[in-house]
Amino acid sequence: MQKYLLRRAFFALGTMIGVSLIIFVVLRILPGDPLVAILGVEGYNKMSPADHARIMADLGLSDPLAVQYARWLRDIVTGQLGKSFFRGDTVRDLILHRGPLSAEIAVLALVVSWLVGLPIGILSAIRPNGWADTIARSLSILFIAIPGFWLGLLMVLALLFWFGYKAPILVVHLWEDPWQNLQLVIGPALVLGLAQGAYIARMSRSCLLEVIREDYVRTARAKGAVERAVVLRHALPNALLPVITISGVLLGFVLGGSVAVEQAFGVPGLGRSLVTAIIERDIIVVQNLVLLYALIFVAVNVLVDLSYAWLDPRIRYQ
Amino acid sequence: MADPVPSKARRLAVSRRSFLKTIGVAGAAGTAPAFLRSGASAQETPASEPGAKRGGTLRYGILSAPAHFDIHQSGTVANLGAQGPMYDCLVRRDPRDGQTIIPDLAQKWDVSPDGKKYTFQIRKGVKFHDGAELTAADVKATYDRIVRPPKGVVIPRSSLFTAVGEIVVVDPYRIEFRLTEPRPKAFMLGAFASGWNVIVRKKTLDDNHGNLRQIENFPGTGPFRHVSRKDKELWIQERNPNYWNKGLPYVDRLEIYHLAPFSPELGSAFLSGKIDYARLLDPVSWRKAKEMPGVTAAQFNQSVIQAFWVNGKRKPFADPRVRRAIHLSMDRNALIDVVKDTAPMQIGGFVYPFHEASTPTSELVKRLGYQADTKAAVQEARNLMAAAGYAQGIKNLDFVVREIATFKLWAVAIQAMLKEALNIECNLRVVQTSQWFEEAGAGNFDLAISAIVSSLMDPSDYFEAWYGKGGPQNYGSWTNEQFHTLAHQIEREVDENKRKAMIRQAEDILESDPPLIPVAYERINDAWYNRVHGQNPSSYFGIYDVVRWDTVWMS
Repeated sequence: MQKYLLRRAFFALGTMIGVSLIIFVVLRILPGDPLVAILGVEGYNKMSPADHARIMADLGLSDPLAVQYARWLRDIVTGQLGKSFFRGDTVRDLILHRGPLSAEIAVLALVVSWLVGLPIGILSAIRPNGWADTIARSLSILFIAIPGFWLGLLMVLALLFWFGYKAPILVVHLWEDPWQNLQLVIGPALVLGLAQGAYIARMSRSCLLEVIREDYVRTARAKGAVERAVVLRHALPNALLPVITISGVLLGFVLGGSVAVEQAFGVPGLGRSLVTAIIERDIIVVQNLVLLYALIFVAVNVLVDLSYAWLDPRIRYQ
Repeated sequence: MADPVPSKARRLAVSRRSFLKTIGVAGAAGTAPAFLRSGASAQETPASEPGAKRGGTLRYGILSAPAHFDIHQSGTVANLGAQGPMYDCLVRRDPRDGQTIIPDLAQKWDVSPDGKKYTFQIRKGVKFHDGAELTAADVKATYDRIVRPPKGVVIPRSSLFTAVGEIVVVDPYRIEFRLTEPRPKAFMLGAFASGWNVIVRKKTLDDNHGNLRQIENFPGTGPFRHVSRKDKELWIQERNPNYWNKGLPYVDRLEIYHLAPFSPELGSAFLSGKIDYARLLDPVSWRKAKEMPGVTAAQFNQSVIQAFWVNGKRKPFADPRVRRAIHLSMDRNALIDVVKDTAPMQIGGFVYPFHEASTPTSELVKRLGYQADTKAAVQEARNLMAAAGYAQGIKNLDFVVREIATFKLWAVAIQAMLKEALNIECNLRVVQTSQWFEEAGAGNFDLAISAIVSSLMDPSDYFEAWYGKGGPQNYGSWTNEQFHTLAHQIEREVDENKRKAMIRQAEDILESDPPLIPVAYERINDAWYNRVHGQNPSSYFGIYDVVRWDTVWMS
């Protein structure tokens, strides 16, 4: 087990270094001068080449790429993650302030996806091709097809125009005011969760349908076990393995989707910060946030792999 | 109160000196713009409004996450929107009309008869927020920096003060600006009154080597003081109890929410009552707000021209006939309509259409290129293209579009208009703002659409920047010797009537040899709940001069 963990950690580290290199290089290849956003259009237009060179040097953007990359690695190791080009705020502070909101949205979205997706999947599998299954499958396709940001925008407008309601416009942490916090995160979590719930429903339905036809399920029925026990105690745990795997992948979708959905709901989370940073060409913020998202994705996938052994005693890590 | 009809005896008692004074005042009133007050006194600063209530919090929604904190180096409302209330200028635009220039930190001023010396009397007893007293040395340090920025410091308004030769501290409360050549009084005082030119402490500048980009809270003398700031969320300020203008400000606390212009967040925050005052509302939310009971909605002119440039360095566009043909082929009414739900716009030519010296809109809309019916203009455009040798049109033009909703909508419409009217085919290339300015600056385009701003409404501010030879925003690399000579004369001409005639002449040159193709002039949508009193921006120009909230009170 330890060997396996070490090997996974080593591969994860390799993946992260690869990701960091790709982000770093891509952000420096992309066209667009960050000084436009820093100095504004008027200032940028009136800047002499000497001033341009001086400010770029002050920001550390004139240094060789290797030096810039090494500096970034140092910032990661020290936990500071560098400073935004703008206003000089540290990226660490940004993540600590806004990260909890995005994390809540992601976790809540996963919970919603399971709460909605799993029962629907089970119902569909128990009575395949019945009216409930048909409705459930149609709805799941609908939620997969609807873009989250569009649904989010509709929800915001409907609440505003029908009820004059708007969620809080500032960051409110769970420990500061749980009610205000819930109002901030529930919308994006629902939109993201419903879309992911559709995947969970489809996956759990097909897995359960497969498992239900297995011999041991037939044996359980033959022994006189009630149908609920057969499904929930014998079939479902074995059908969940692929569903858990897909949940890891879906978390990646949730993280990616939260960028647009946070924007649609106006939630001041990390996704929205990432959009702003991209527009401003604040490459220090962009590279750190993308790396953070990649890190979460890799970590979740490792955790999913580790959970297999716990869920299925036949699996042993070597 | 004076007698409405003076008696004969009193009329006869008029002395030679008072008679000459009266003639002088009448003459000045006839020639100076109505909004200009020469030698104004302290009584003209905004005083306490009868019935105004003290206290409360104003929740204001505006773009307020600046890229840095140095107001002088900025050109965006993200700075002034949030930082403006913490600072004062030498003189200011009256918040009651947004036009009249009134005293601020300068109690009064004098302009020498030759228009080459401006002397300001600084108020005594004005304290910065850190307790230090304001003196002429602070004003000199501020303006030395604005007029001639140190290395690595870029100040967009330096060009307003190119005529300033020397800045001399006469005594601790008097300062002189000596000009190398005369400038119109309205222009110079307008430059001093620009909301960007806030007075900062000499010590602050010295301590930070003249660069305040990373200094969040440098002391000002303004009506509000910094309390806290949460990046891209909220900036809180409190009433300055030691403000020199006794009785002001009225509100105890300002909460400035970072809400992007024309965004659904700003609209929904206002419509749901989460903020009291919204600036730069999108047209849909603004119209909705206008219908709401208990809400006032106002619209006013912005200091921005929306335009597209044709690259004069590339062959077809070096010919003024081709540029004029493109100019004439635009259906401007349709272009304004295209973006009516995205941003409010109005028709205009090469000079702000609401400036007193420009061709009035009522006349402009009768001209080719601005008419509602474009048939005649398009026919003339086709004739010009034929005369230039492009009767068959032009193919494969590179049209660089800034990644902003209005420009993307316009680019598609312009592409269609050019194809239909002149058989000009172009490929749209949408790029981020930062890339647009790189491409435009390097001349990597055939057509390029964006917007540019000025500090003042006065053409002398932007004639050089927008249309000047090598001007920083002359992206089309346009030159016209006749225009450049005239623009320089306009800059120096102090007679308002002569100046106005010259500006009209300049307009004619620009019409026949366009340096850019005007699309529209932006307007600003504001709305506020009627519990907010003491400010109505309807007659303001832009959002950069009246930014202080000192006269606003809440009921």
